[in-house]
Amino acid sequence: MLGIAIMKKISLMVAVAAILVLPARLLFAAVGCDLNDPDRDVARLFPGSTGYKTNYVGLDQRGGPALLAQIEERLGDKFQGLFETIDVPYTLYEVFKGKEKIGYIHGVNQKGQYGGIQVFVVLDLEGVIRNFYFQKLTSRYGKELRDPKFGEQFVGLTLKDFYNYDVQTGRASGPSGVEKIKNPVPEAEPDFKAALRGTKKNLILVDEFILGNKYLQYHKAGGEQKK
Amino acid sequence: MSRIIVAVVLVLLVSASPAFGKSYLLYLEAQGVGGYSWENDEAIYYSMNPVDVMQKPSVGFDYLQRFSSEKGDWGSFALQMRLAYNEAYRATGEDEFQVQLYNAFFKYKAGFADLWIGHSRIAFGLASYLDSHALLLQPLAMYGYGYDRDWGVGATRDFDWGNVSIAYSTGSGMPLEFDGNYLVSARASYGVLSRDNYNIGFSSTYGKPIETIGYEKIMPDPTKTFLMGADFTYFWNNIENRFEAAAGEKMDEDTYAFLWRIGVNFLDEDRLKLEAQPVYWKSGDDWFYEISGGVSYKLTSDITLRGMYTYDGQMNDNRIVFQIYWYYKLL
Repeated sequence: MLGIAIMKKISLMVAVAAILVLPARLLFAAVGCDLNDPDRDVARLFPGSTGYKTNYVGLDQRGGPALLAQIEERLGDKFQGLFETIDVPYTLYEVFKGKEKIGYIHGVNQKGQYGGIQVFVVLDLEGVIRNFYFQKLTSRYGKELRDPKFGEQFVGLTLKDFYNYDVQTGRASGPSGVEKIKNPVPEAEPDFKAALRGTKKNLILVDEFILGNKYLQYHKAGGEQKK
Repeated sequence: MSRIIVAVVLVLLVSASPAFGKSYLLYLEAQGVGGYSWENDEAIYYSMNPVDVMQKPSVGFDYLQRFSSEKGDWGSFALQMRLAYNEAYRATGEDEFQVQLYNAFFKYKAGFADLWIGHSRIAFGLASYLDSHALLLQPLAMYGYGYDRDWGVGATRDFDWGNVSIAYSTGSGMPLEFDGNYLVSARASYGVLSRDNYNIGFSSTYGKPIETIGYEKIMPDPTKTFLMGADFTYFWNNIENRFEAAAGEKMDEDTYAFLWRIGVNFLDEDRLKLEAQPVYWKSGDDWFYEISGGVSYKLTSDITLRGMYTYDGQMNDNRIVFQIYWYYKLL
């Protein structure tokens, strides 16, 4: 009995010591962005689907700081804050119809006007947006931003369109589907810009994690899009 | 027991084989909790009750494993444990270090519903969906109206309009006890909180549970319990409101309980949160109340600092408690 008690005390001390000696850079982890109820949400977002598979992917395990720098360069902005640490476990849903894979669903946390928002995109196997979905969005203008008409503006776009969009200035540098996306409420401009930044980040991560960087050819270092 | 659990986790880790990425998550957690009680005129190392489980200085882990086939996910396994320092046991000579088991369930996606077996949340009140595992402010479950976790089986199904859940459990909370005790609970709710920013639920629980605080029995035999409950959560901009009520019969006496929690988020990414929570309940012939104020600050994505002041009307005690909480993705 006494031996067990001593073992537990030693275990606790070892665990605490291990925590204290962890390198400071490790003290930045985060929780990912899951669908609230995948059964209901996948069926609704991907009509005709029969199942899904959940995968967790992280930049820390795919390439570390070097990959993070590449992702930031493609985004045109630094990853920052609580939602964009290097070890965020991104949740990627593979969507099936029977045994056939028919697409993907992926969400990201993004800093919004009131805390965080969660931006999900529904993609076909080629990375074309088939649906757009705000999960968490507590803004008083949430009703307008959640309106299907707003999400429909994203349908058919790809990462190629978003390379034209500067997430820092909120402007598109050339003709693309992104500049046609209209903010339904002028007062919701911070969340509107956050939605576009979140979508671009989302698409870049999917391109990196799943699509083999097929859209990298449209990106040029320095923020200018390749023609 | 702990060896078996570790072995199960290792087997699951090895057997995980998703198409890409991983099918599991493993987090480590650690917390320091300390404060002062004016009534006892001494330092304390707990947030609510000396023998209750939350919150105390502890280290632990949180593991989630998903299972899938070529057609998609079909189940999951969750295991969440802590080794906590229990100061109250110093006086009794018992082991001060206590293993606490929170999530310990297997969930099967049956199609018509998700079915679970093990130690999980029952279908009653705010605690049925509000994760208070790391928080200082607690819902009515920690005041004796329901359970944070209970041993048993359950089913839950989400609809486009909300959720319906049922559970059949031991009614013993943290310890697994079989002494003629049981508890049936059911909850129906309207609204999807993460989509609609509100959720209103009605629940009921009936049975002969064992009255426990943490791992301690406070009544020798199971007693009849029947409770009706209502709960409501509403988010608007940076303001969060939660309300919970329960009424019925416990330990052969009528009982009522009410809780309201209002929180306001500040700073980017809701880093700072201020909260207030009055709780009012009737036990026996007496009414009691507890008023708490809380502050929470996310120092990093892993580390959260919390503070709480509580006036406990039942004990006529003023308590102030501080917590540093660390949650780190290991795998």
